[in-house]
Amino acid sequence: MPELDAIPTEARQRLEEIGSADLIIGILNTAHDHEIGTVVKTVGEVLRELSQNLRAVVVHSPSDEAPERHDAARESESVHVVPWPLLAPNTSLTQAGSVSDGYRSIFALGESLGARGYGVIASSLETVTSQWIWRLVEPVLNMDFDLVAPCYARQKLEGLLNNSILRPLMRALYGRRIRNPLGPDFGFSAKLLRRLLYLDSGLPNRLGSPVLFASEAACGGFQVCQAHIGERHPPQIDLMNLSSILADVLGPVFLDVERNAPFWQKVRGSHAVRAFGEPIASAQEDGSVDVRRLVESFQLGSRNLQEVWGVVLPPATLFEVRKLARLAPDEFHMPDELWVRIIYDFALGHRLRTISRDHLLRAITPLYLGWTASYALEVERSTPDMVEYRLEQLCDAYEAGKTYLLSRWRWPDRFNP
Amino acid sequence: MLEQVREALHQSTIRVITKLASLLPGTVALIIAVALSAVLGAILAFLLRRLLRAVDFDERLAHAVSPVWTQWSPSQSPTLLVTRVVFWALILIGFLIGIAAFDATLTSQLVLSIFTYLPNVVAAVLVLLMGTLIARFIARSVLIGAVNMNLQYARVLSLGVKWLVLVLTVAMALEHLSIGGGIVQLAFGILFGGIVLALALAVGLGSKELVSRSLEREKTTAETEEPFRHL
Repeated sequence: MPELDAIPTEARQRLEEIGSADLIIGILNTAHDHEIGTVVKTVGEVLRELSQNLRAVVVHSPSDEAPERHDAARESESVHVVPWPLLAPNTSLTQAGSVSDGYRSIFALGESLGARGYGVIASSLETVTSQWIWRLVEPVLNMDFDLVAPCYARQKLEGLLNNSILRPLMRALYGRRIRNPLGPDFGFSAKLLRRLLYLDSGLPNRLGSPVLFASEAACGGFQVCQAHIGERHPPQIDLMNLSSILADVLGPVFLDVERNAPFWQKVRGSHAVRAFGEPIASAQEDGSVDVRRLVESFQLGSRNLQEVWGVVLPPATLFEVRKLARLAPDEFHMPDELWVRIIYDFALGHRLRTISRDHLLRAITPLYLGWTASYALEVERSTPDMVEYRLEQLCDAYEAGKTYLLSRWRWPDRFNP
Repeated sequence: MLEQVREALHQSTIRVITKLASLLPGTVALIIAVALSAVLGAILAFLLRRLLRAVDFDERLAHAVSPVWTQWSPSQSPTLLVTRVVFWALILIGFLIGIAAFDATLTSQLVLSIFTYLPNVVAAVLVLLMGTLIARFIARSVLIGAVNMNLQYARVLSLGVKWLVLVLTVAMALEHLSIGGGIVQLAFGILFGGIVLALALAVGLGSKELVSRSLEREKTTAETEEPFRHL
């Protein structure tokens, strides 16, 4: 459980003044003074829309430029502000341990105020509107949902890690069709957050990765829904740092797959979860995409990492990967079945510890870039509907390949095609 | 005179034959001891192999510890490694028993020197194992990191680092065994320096390409923004 002693003295005094609140809005990113003013106004609008006599607290990490100050003018009667350094400066939202501390702090504050619902905003505050916050917290406060996952209006080449691995893997394993299990913006009930933190006590960084929220909610039988909240500007990642991001994201996911194996082995098929709001179309960029760099990275990996991949991938898969590396960039195509087997084999390799887990997670990077190149070529001239259809096909391939995972998971030595 | 020569030859022949005859029981005892220990070792090794295979020793070891054991094992099987160690240890014991049949003083001296030297051998083996383990780990880290950084000479870099650590390991192991002395240190210095120079040249020459490519990339990125968003 979160420790209230960890609350800074200044923040504790503020909490005593506030007394109680129904809703906590946590801003994980560092926020400037004027941005917090906008958020307070937005939360005020949300509370009015909810038409209840609710009180909210906005907790945020103050920026270093301006010293922390309590500005009563930017607060309203129903919305209070508590500055509290939730994340260390320059922390990536994929760094499990640091994000875990942020959530723990928000929950500690909520517990001390007796909050019923939480909205956590990790995206840039420039894109946050009242609709965002309303859609994330309304199902929790009014309809007893425990987790509200976000649906963003995205460009076809955005959220690639989510679309290629997280969304289809979560769907195939846990049977719930959640578009963005990684979030990172969520609405939570106090009940779910309490369970996450309670489980957290025995396992370090258990709460760390936002991707675990969806799986935990599915395994615990919690009510999950998703909300179409609008556009988000995802951060640009340099290819040099991609392997670290992949390791940060996939490490907790594979650990979770291992931990929840008794649950997901019993799950068959998948079902849609309730979605609120209308899908918002994002203006799509058309035109051809240059994938040469991605294909070159894949080919370089194929030339040099056979020894490492050979420890994780069965011979048949390795043979197909080698064949793929001989294709020209404009003919490059990675079949869904192959990609699905690769991910399942890496999840199994992670469980069996056949090589160091850090090596395993980083060695997936060239394969992931290969998938990205193949996908980019396929959807470069597609409409949003066609892109969605393509992603559904990938999700179906993950579901169809689950028998392969089950066989390898249960008999890793005997079933090695 | 001739009689004296004949007598001397006769005496020396008798002495040699007597000496050989006195050695014969010891030799036979040595052969029997070695043969018996070989038979006993073969039986023990066979039983041990059956037992280890029955408990899937190789698979369990592969899951539990690093593959370095596999690398050092004959036919990449730790079971074979263990059984062969047992077999040859028994033959060594048989040999020592056989030697004892010749001369107890000689045996005790031999055993004493073997046991004095044994800690060095154990330390050298440990250094070798740890060194191989570390070399493999670092080489793999460098290889994966270099590939992810798109370096064309990733494998050369990884091999260079691996041999750097292995050369250091072998030099340390030989130092423990007190073999070679100054020659080993000199050879190590030359080899180590050579590898470092080769790596420096490889990285130096390769970095020309790297710098030009990264500048090219910067230019391209500035002109056309990367469309891919992974998060």
